[in-house]
Amino acid sequence: MEPFKKKYEETPFQTAGPYLHIGCMPNYLGINGIYKNDIGIMPFPNKISEELITITGSVFDGNEEALDDVFLETWQSDTNGKYFENHGFARFIPNKITKKYSLITIKPGSVENFDGIKQSPHILLSISSRGLNMSLNTRIYFEDDDLTGDPLLSTVKNVRNDVSSLIAKKIGNNTYSFDIFLQGDKETIFLDI
Amino acid sequence: MKIKSLLKRNFNHQPRLNYPDYKSSILRAPVRKKISLPSTISEICGPVFNCDIIGKYDNDLTLNFSKNKSSPLGHKILIYGTVKDQFSNPIEGALLEIWQANASGKYLHPNDNTLAPIDPNFAGCGRYITKPNGSYEFTTIQPGPYPYPNRGIEWRPMHIHFSIFGRSFGQRLITQMYFEGDPLIKLCPMVNSIPDEKAISSLISTLDTSRSSSKNILAYKFDIILRGINQTYFENKKEGL
Repeated sequence: MEPFKKKYEETPFQTAGPYLHIGCMPNYLGINGIYKNDIGIMPFPNKISEELITITGSVFDGNEEALDDVFLETWQSDTNGKYFENHGFARFIPNKITKKYSLITIKPGSVENFDGIKQSPHILLSISSRGLNMSLNTRIYFEDDDLTGDPLLSTVKNVRNDVSSLIAKKIGNNTYSFDIFLQGDKETIFLDI
Repeated sequence: MKIKSLLKRNFNHQPRLNYPDYKSSILRAPVRKKISLPSTISEICGPVFNCDIIGKYDNDLTLNFSKNKSSPLGHKILIYGTVKDQFSNPIEGALLEIWQANASGKYLHPNDNTLAPIDPNFAGCGRYITKPNGSYEFTTIQPGPYPYPNRGIEWRPMHIHFSIFGRSFGQRLITQMYFEGDPLIKLCPMVNSIPDEKAISSLISTLDTSRSSSKNILAYKFDIILRGINQTYFENKKEGL
Protein backbone atom coordinates (compact mmCIF):
# COMPACT_ATOMS: atom_id res chain seq x y z
CA MET A 1 0.00 0.00 0.00
CA GLU A 2 1.32 3.41 -0.93
CA PRO A 3 1.67 5.88 1.93
CA PHE A 4 -0.89 8.66 1.96
CA LYS A 5 0.10 12.10 0.76
CA LYS A 6 0.60 14.81 3.38
CA LYS A 7 -1.97 17.59 3.04
CA TYR A 8 -1.14 19.89 5.93
CA GLU A 9 1.80 20.98 8.05
CA GLU A 10 1.68 20.18 11.74
CA THR A 11 0.54 23.10 13.92
CA PRO A 12 3.68 24.80 15.34
CA PHE A 13 4.61 24.49 19.01
CA GLN A 14 4.81 27.46 21.35
CA THR A 15 6.35 27.48 24.80
CA ALA A 16 4.26 26.01 27.61
CA GLY A 17 5.27 29.05 29.66
CA PRO A 18 5.43 29.35 33.45
CA TYR A 19 1.72 28.87 34.19
CA LEU A 20 0.94 25.51 32.57
CA HIS A 21 -0.01 24.04 35.96
CA ILE A 22 -3.31 25.93 35.70
CA GLY A 23 -4.29 23.88 32.66
CA CYS A 24 -2.49 20.59 33.29
CA MET A 25 -2.47 20.14 37.08
CA PRO A 26 -4.93 22.62 38.61
CA ASN A 27 -5.57 20.58 41.78
CA TYR A 28 -1.85 20.54 42.54
CA LEU A 29 -1.93 24.34 42.33
CA GLY A 30 -4.89 24.56 44.70
CA ILE A 31 -7.46 25.25 42.01
CA ASN A 32 -9.89 22.66 43.32
CA GLY A 33 -13.44 21.85 42.38
CA ILE A 34 -13.12 22.04 38.60
CA TYR A 35 -11.49 18.68 37.75
CA LYS A 36 -12.02 15.78 40.11
CA ASN A 37 -8.43 14.61 39.66
CA ASP A 38 -5.36 15.84 37.87
CA ILE A 39 -4.32 13.56 35.00
CA GLY A 40 -1.27 11.28 35.31
CA ILE A 41 -0.84 11.21 39.10
CA MET A 42 -0.48 7.42 39.11
CA PRO A 43 0.51 5.72 35.86
CA PHE A 44 -0.61 2.27 37.09
CA PRO A 45 -3.17 2.88 39.86
CA ASN A 46 -3.80 -0.74 40.80
CA LYS A 47 -0.25 -1.81 41.54
CA ILE A 48 0.92 -2.59 45.07
CA SER A 49 4.03 -1.04 46.57
CA GLU A 50 6.28 -4.12 46.17
CA GLU A 51 5.88 -3.83 42.40
CA LEU A 52 6.79 -0.15 42.27
CA ILE A 53 10.04 1.55 41.37
CA THR A 54 11.05 5.17 41.93
CA ILE A 55 12.97 7.23 39.40
CA THR A 56 14.32 10.47 40.79
CA GLY A 57 16.48 13.30 39.49
CA SER A 58 16.72 16.96 38.54
CA VAL A 59 16.53 19.00 35.36
CA PHE A 60 19.50 21.37 34.98
CA ASP A 61 19.84 24.49 32.83
CA GLY A 62 23.04 25.74 31.18
CA ASN A 63 24.32 27.11 34.50
CA GLU A 64 23.79 23.66 36.05
CA GLU A 65 21.05 25.12 38.17
CA ALA A 66 18.30 22.65 39.05
CA LEU A 67 14.94 23.92 37.76
CA ASP A 68 11.61 23.71 39.56
CA ASP A 69 9.35 25.14 36.85
CA VAL A 70 9.73 22.33 34.32
CA PHE A 71 6.93 19.91 33.49
CA LEU A 72 7.61 16.26 32.78
CA GLU A 73 5.46 13.61 31.13
CA THR A 74 6.23 9.92 30.69
CA TRP A 75 4.71 7.04 28.75
CA GLN A 76 5.60 3.39 29.15
CA SER A 77 4.53 -0.24 28.84
CA ASP A 78 3.62 -2.57 31.68
CA THR A 79 6.12 -5.12 33.08
CA ASN A 80 5.32 -7.52 30.23
CA GLY A 81 6.12 -4.96 27.55
CA LYS A 82 2.47 -4.38 26.63
CA TYR A 83 1.01 -0.93 26.09
CA PHE A 84 -2.42 -0.08 27.42
CA GLU A 85 -4.10 3.07 26.10
CA ASN A 86 -5.34 4.11 29.54
CA HIS A 87 -2.39 3.18 31.75
CA GLY A 88 1.27 4.07 31.75
CA PHE A 89 1.06 7.85 31.42
CA ALA A 90 2.45 10.10 34.17
CA ARG A 91 2.86 13.82 34.80
CA PHE A 92 5.09 15.35 37.45
CA ILE A 93 7.22 18.35 38.37
CA PRO A 94 10.27 18.81 40.62
CA ASN A 95 9.79 19.54 44.30
CA LYS A 96 10.02 23.29 45.04
CA ILE A 97 12.59 22.78 47.84
CA THR A 98 14.70 19.79 46.79
CA LYS A 99 14.39 20.57 43.04
CA LYS A 100 14.07 16.83 42.49
CA TYR A 101 11.29 15.05 40.68
CA SER A 102 10.22 11.60 41.57
CA LEU A 103 8.27 9.22 39.36
CA ILE A 104 6.69 6.27 41.09
CA THR A 105 5.76 3.63 38.55
CA ILE A 106 6.35 -0.01 37.59
CA LYS A 107 9.36 -1.28 35.71
CA PRO A 108 8.51 -1.42 32.00
CA GLY A 109 9.10 -4.66 30.14
CA SER A 110 10.96 -5.40 26.96
CA VAL A 111 8.80 -4.10 24.12
CA GLU A 112 8.40 -5.83 20.77
CA ASN A 113 8.35 -3.34 17.91
CA PHE A 114 6.20 -3.61 14.75
CA ASP A 115 9.01 -5.50 13.01
CA GLY A 116 9.20 -8.10 15.78
CA ILE A 117 12.52 -6.79 17.11
CA LYS A 118 12.70 -6.40 20.89
CA GLN A 119 13.49 -3.04 22.46
CA SER A 120 15.08 -2.99 25.92
CA PRO A 121 12.78 -1.74 28.69
CA HIS A 122 12.38 2.02 28.42
CA ILE A 123 10.20 4.99 29.31
CA LEU A 124 9.45 7.87 26.93
CA LEU A 125 10.00 11.27 28.57
CA SER A 126 8.91 14.70 27.39
CA ILE A 127 10.02 17.99 28.98
CA SER A 128 8.15 21.28 28.61
CA SER A 129 8.78 24.63 30.29
CA ARG A 130 9.18 28.35 30.10
CA GLY A 131 12.16 29.00 27.80
CA LEU A 132 11.57 25.88 25.70
CA ASN A 133 9.84 26.84 22.46
CA MET A 134 9.15 23.16 21.81
CA SER A 135 8.82 20.21 24.16
CA LEU A 136 11.92 17.98 24.27
CA ASN A 137 11.83 14.21 23.96
CA THR A 138 14.20 11.60 25.32
CA ARG A 139 14.12 8.05 26.72
CA ILE A 140 14.95 6.48 30.07
CA TYR A 141 16.66 3.06 29.96
CA PHE A 142 17.86 1.14 33.04
CA GLU A 143 21.48 0.21 33.74
CA ASP A 144 20.57 -3.18 35.21
CA ASP A 145 18.89 -4.36 31.99
CA ASP A 146 20.52 -5.96 28.97
CA LEU A 147 20.90 -3.01 26.59
CA THR A 148 23.11 -4.63 23.97
CA GLY A 149 20.43 -5.43 21.41
CA ASP A 150 18.34 -2.27 21.65
CA PRO A 151 17.92 -0.81 18.13
CA LEU A 152 17.50 2.81 19.30
CA LEU A 153 20.60 2.78 21.50
CA SER A 154 22.61 1.20 18.66
CA THR A 155 21.50 3.94 16.25
CA VAL A 156 22.29 6.67 18.75
CA LYS A 157 25.73 5.13 19.42
CA ASN A 158 26.55 5.58 15.73
CA VAL A 159 26.08 9.34 16.14
CA ARG A 160 27.25 9.90 19.73
CA ASN A 161 29.72 7.66 21.50
CA ASP A 162 28.33 8.23 24.95
CA VAL A 163 24.71 7.18 25.46
CA SER A 164 24.90 7.26 29.28
CA SER A 165 22.55 10.28 29.46
CA LEU A 166 19.75 7.91 28.36
CA ILE A 167 20.41 5.34 31.10
CA ALA A 168 19.07 5.57 34.66
CA LYS A 169 21.49 4.49 37.39
CA LYS A 170 20.43 2.12 40.13
CA ILE A 171 20.93 3.87 43.47
CA GLY A 172 19.00 1.58 45.80
CA ASN A 173 16.39 -1.10 46.10
CA ASN A 174 13.90 -0.39 43.28
CA THR A 175 15.27 3.16 43.04
CA TYR A 176 16.94 4.78 40.06
CA SER A 177 18.48 8.17 39.39
CA PHE A 178 18.03 10.02 36.10
CA ASP A 179 19.18 13.64 35.74
CA ILE A 180 18.48 15.74 32.67
CA PHE A 181 20.89 18.41 31.41
CA LEU A 182 19.34 20.88 28.97
CA GLN A 183 22.75 22.30 27.98
CA GLY A 184 26.49 22.09 28.64
CA ASP A 185 29.10 19.31 28.58
CA LYS A 186 26.62 16.84 30.02
CA GLU A 187 23.77 17.84 27.68
CA THR A 188 21.22 15.01 27.52
CA ILE A 189 20.66 13.31 24.18
CA PHE A 190 17.34 14.59 22.87
CA LEU A 191 15.44 12.74 20.20
CA ASP A 192 13.43 13.75 17.16
CA ILE A 193 10.88 10.96 17.48
CA MET B 1 3.45 -7.16 8.68
CA LYS B 2 2.00 -3.70 9.35
CA ILE B 3 4.40 -0.90 10.29
CA LYS B 4 3.15 2.44 11.55
CA SER B 5 5.33 5.53 11.49
CA LEU B 6 4.86 9.19 12.31
CA LEU B 7 5.50 11.64 9.49
CA LYS B 8 8.85 13.32 10.01
CA ARG B 9 8.60 16.70 11.68
CA ASN B 10 9.17 19.73 9.44
CA PHE B 11 11.37 21.91 11.64
CA ASN B 12 11.10 24.85 9.20
CA HIS B 13 7.49 25.06 10.34
CA GLN B 14 8.38 24.90 14.05
CA PRO B 15 9.91 27.47 16.42
CA ARG B 16 13.68 27.65 16.87
CA LEU B 17 14.72 26.35 20.28
CA ASN B 18 17.71 28.68 20.36
CA TYR B 19 16.11 32.09 19.99
CA PRO B 20 17.98 34.67 22.11
CA ASP B 21 15.30 37.38 21.58
CA TYR B 22 13.30 35.18 23.96
CA LYS B 23 15.69 35.45 26.87
CA SER B 24 14.50 32.42 28.85
CA SER B 25 15.57 30.20 25.94
CA ILE B 26 19.25 31.16 26.30
CA LEU B 27 20.06 28.85 29.22
CA ARG B 28 17.45 26.21 28.48
CA ALA B 29 17.51 25.40 24.77
CA PRO B 30 19.73 22.39 24.01
CA VAL B 31 22.65 23.26 21.74
CA ARG B 32 23.30 19.90 20.10
CA LYS B 33 21.21 18.60 17.23
CA LYS B 34 18.42 16.19 18.10
CA ILE B 35 18.91 12.65 16.88
CA SER B 36 16.28 11.69 14.37
CA LEU B 37 14.88 8.19 14.72
CA PRO B 38 12.17 6.12 13.08
CA SER B 39 9.03 5.72 15.19
CA THR B 40 8.59 2.59 17.23
CA ILE B 41 5.43 1.18 18.80
CA SER B 42 6.25 3.23 21.93
CA GLU B 43 5.73 6.57 20.16
CA ILE B 44 2.58 5.40 18.35
CA CYS B 45 0.32 3.52 20.75
CA GLY B 46 -1.23 6.02 23.16
CA PRO B 47 -1.91 7.41 25.68
CA VAL B 48 -5.62 7.90 25.02
CA PHE B 49 -7.97 9.47 27.56
CA ASN B 50 -11.48 8.42 28.47
CA CYS B 51 -14.41 10.77 28.04
CA ASP B 52 -15.51 9.92 31.58
CA ILE B 53 -12.83 12.24 33.02
CA ILE B 54 -14.63 15.25 31.55
CA GLY B 55 -17.10 17.10 33.78
CA LYS B 56 -20.15 19.02 32.58
CA TYR B 57 -18.55 22.49 32.81
CA ASP B 58 -14.96 21.58 31.98
CA ASN B 59 -15.19 23.41 28.65
CA ASP B 60 -17.07 26.45 29.97
CA LEU B 61 -14.56 28.68 31.73
CA THR B 62 -17.25 31.29 32.41
CA LEU B 63 -19.05 28.79 34.66
CA ASN B 64 -16.51 26.29 36.00
CA PHE B 65 -15.13 28.60 38.71
CA SER B 66 -18.00 31.05 39.19
CA LYS B 67 -19.25 31.70 42.72
CA ASN B 68 -22.99 32.08 43.35
CA LYS B 69 -23.61 32.17 39.60
CA SER B 70 -21.56 35.38 39.21
CA SER B 71 -19.91 35.84 35.83
CA PRO B 72 -16.22 36.56 35.36
CA LEU B 73 -15.37 40.04 34.06
CA GLY B 74 -14.67 40.58 30.38
CA HIS B 75 -16.48 39.71 27.21
CA LYS B 76 -17.53 36.20 26.42
CA ILE B 77 -15.93 34.32 23.54
CA LEU B 78 -16.43 30.97 21.87
CA ILE B 79 -13.29 29.16 20.69
CA TYR B 80 -14.01 26.31 18.35
CA GLY B 81 -12.44 24.21 15.61
CA THR B 82 -11.33 20.73 14.70
CA VAL B 83 -8.35 18.53 15.46
CA LYS B 84 -7.15 16.70 12.36
CA ASP B 85 -4.01 14.90 11.31
CA GLN B 86 -1.74 15.90 8.42
CA PHE B 87 -3.78 13.76 6.03
CA SER B 88 -6.92 15.70 7.00
CA ASN B 89 -8.41 12.82 8.99
CA PRO B 90 -10.40 14.10 11.99
CA ILE B 91 -9.01 12.88 15.32
CA GLU B 92 -11.69 11.60 17.66
CA GLY B 93 -10.91 11.41 21.36
CA ALA B 94 -8.12 13.99 21.37
CA LEU B 95 -7.68 15.61 24.78
CA LEU B 96 -7.41 19.39 24.74
CA GLU B 97 -6.41 21.25 27.89
CA ILE B 98 -6.33 25.04 27.87
CA TRP B 99 -5.17 27.74 30.27
CA GLN B 100 -5.26 31.50 30.02
CA ALA B 101 -5.07 34.86 31.80
CA ASN B 102 -8.26 36.62 32.92
CA ALA B 103 -9.68 39.74 31.26
CA SER B 104 -7.09 41.89 33.08
CA GLY B 105 -4.19 39.77 31.88
CA LYS B 106 -3.65 38.03 35.22
CA TYR B 107 -3.10 34.30 35.77
CA LEU B 108 -4.46 32.57 38.85
CA HIS B 109 -0.95 31.35 39.67
CA PRO B 110 1.44 32.08 42.58
CA ASN B 111 4.27 32.96 40.15
CA ASP B 112 2.29 35.71 38.40
CA ASN B 113 3.64 38.89 40.04
CA THR B 114 1.93 41.42 37.77
CA LEU B 115 -0.24 44.08 39.41
CA ALA B 116 -3.44 43.24 37.58
CA PRO B 117 -6.30 41.93 39.76
CA ILE B 118 -7.37 38.30 39.98
CA ASP B 119 -11.00 37.54 39.17
CA PRO B 120 -12.68 35.46 41.90
CA ASN B 121 -14.97 33.91 39.30
CA PHE B 122 -12.32 32.88 36.82
CA ALA B 123 -9.64 30.16 37.09
CA GLY B 124 -8.68 30.04 33.41
CA CYS B 125 -8.55 26.28 32.96
CA GLY B 126 -10.64 24.09 30.69
CA ARG B 127 -10.53 20.76 28.90
CA TYR B 128 -12.40 18.81 26.25
CA ILE B 129 -12.26 15.51 24.38
CA THR B 130 -12.98 15.81 20.65
CA LYS B 131 -16.09 14.37 19.00
CA PRO B 132 -15.95 11.74 16.19
CA ASN B 133 -15.60 14.55 13.63
CA GLY B 134 -12.64 16.00 15.55
CA SER B 135 -14.56 19.06 16.72
CA TYR B 136 -14.11 20.91 19.99
CA GLU B 137 -15.40 24.10 21.61
CA PHE B 138 -14.73 26.23 24.66
CA THR B 139 -16.73 29.09 26.12
CA THR B 140 -14.50 31.54 27.93
CA ILE B 141 -13.71 35.26 28.23
CA GLN B 142 -11.28 37.27 26.15
CA PRO B 143 -7.87 37.03 27.87
CA GLY B 144 -6.07 40.34 28.36
CA PRO B 145 -2.53 41.09 27.16
CA TYR B 146 0.06 41.45 29.93
CA PRO B 147 3.59 42.74 30.55
CA TYR B 148 6.52 40.42 31.31
CA PRO B 149 10.26 40.90 31.71
CA ASN B 150 12.27 39.98 28.61
CA ARG B 151 14.35 42.66 26.85
CA GLY B 152 13.06 45.16 29.37
CA ILE B 153 9.33 44.95 29.85
CA GLU B 154 7.48 43.53 26.86
CA TRP B 155 3.82 42.68 26.32
CA ARG B 156 2.45 39.30 25.41
CA PRO B 157 -0.32 39.35 22.79
CA MET B 158 -3.68 38.02 23.94
CA HIS B 159 -3.44 34.24 23.84
CA ILE B 160 -4.78 30.93 25.08
CA HIS B 161 -2.43 28.01 25.81
CA PHE B 162 -3.36 24.63 24.33
CA SER B 163 -2.04 21.21 25.30
CA ILE B 164 -3.17 18.45 22.95
CA PHE B 165 -2.93 14.67 22.99
CA GLY B 166 -3.97 12.87 19.82
CA ARG B 167 -3.74 9.08 19.86
CA SER B 168 0.00 8.75 20.41
CA PHE B 169 2.86 10.22 22.44
CA GLY B 170 4.63 11.28 19.23
CA GLN B 171 1.63 13.45 18.26
CA ARG B 172 1.84 15.44 21.50
CA LEU B 173 1.56 19.20 20.92
CA ILE B 174 1.75 22.22 23.24
CA THR B 175 1.05 25.58 21.64
CA GLN B 176 -0.66 28.96 21.96
CA MET B 177 -3.58 30.42 20.06
CA TYR B 178 -3.61 34.12 19.18
CA PHE B 179 -6.40 36.48 18.08
CA GLU B 180 -6.82 37.95 14.60
CA GLY B 181 -5.87 41.62 14.42
CA ASP B 182 -3.83 41.83 17.66
CA PRO B 183 -0.96 44.28 16.95
CA LEU B 184 1.19 42.66 19.67
CA ILE B 185 1.52 39.38 17.72
CA LYS B 186 4.21 40.62 15.38
CA LEU B 187 6.24 42.11 18.26
CA CYS B 188 6.32 38.86 20.26
CA PRO B 189 9.66 36.99 20.30
CA MET B 190 7.94 33.70 21.19
CA VAL B 191 5.82 34.03 18.04
CA ASN B 192 8.80 35.19 15.98
CA SER B 193 10.85 32.16 17.00
CA ILE B 194 8.83 30.49 14.20
CA PRO B 195 10.68 31.31 10.96
CA ASP B 196 7.76 30.71 8.61
CA GLU B 197 5.03 33.35 8.15
CA LYS B 198 2.43 30.81 7.10
CA ALA B 199 3.19 28.71 10.17
CA ILE B 200 2.71 31.78 12.37
CA SER B 201 -0.62 32.57 10.74
CA SER B 202 -1.83 29.03 11.53
CA LEU B 203 -1.69 29.99 15.23
CA ILE B 204 -3.95 33.02 14.78
CA SER B 205 -7.63 32.32 15.30
CA THR B 206 -10.06 34.02 12.97
CA LEU B 207 -13.20 35.90 13.92
CA ASP B 208 -16.31 34.08 12.82
CA THR B 209 -19.27 36.43 12.62
CA SER B 210 -21.69 33.65 11.64
CA ARG B 211 -21.39 32.03 15.08
CA SER B 212 -21.05 35.33 16.93
CA SER B 213 -24.58 36.63 16.48
CA SER B 214 -26.46 34.78 19.20
CA LYS B 215 -25.97 34.67 22.99
CA ASN B 216 -23.81 37.82 23.13
CA ILE B 217 -20.65 35.96 22.27
CA LEU B 218 -17.78 36.56 19.86
CA ALA B 219 -16.67 33.39 18.06
CA TYR B 220 -13.11 32.57 16.97
CA LYS B 221 -12.12 29.55 14.92
CA PHE B 222 -8.87 27.71 15.59
CA ASP B 223 -8.08 24.44 13.78
CA ILE B 224 -5.30 22.18 14.99
CA ILE B 225 -3.21 19.75 12.94
CA LEU B 226 -1.36 16.89 14.63
CA ARG B 227 1.27 14.70 13.00
CA GLY B 228 0.06 12.08 10.55
CA ILE B 229 0.72 8.37 11.02
CA ASN B 230 1.57 6.29 7.97
CA GLN B 231 0.76 2.61 7.75
CA THR B 232 2.78 0.45 5.42
CA TYR B 233 2.46 -3.26 4.81
CA PHE B 234 5.39 -5.54 4.11
CA GLU B 235 5.38 -9.12 2.90
CA ASN B 236 7.22 -11.33 5.34
CA LYS B 237 9.93 -12.71 3.06
CA LYS B 238 11.20 -16.20 3.83
CA GLU B 239 14.93 -16.79 3.98
CA GLY B 240 16.46 -18.13 0.74
CA LEU B 241 13.56 -17.31 -1.59
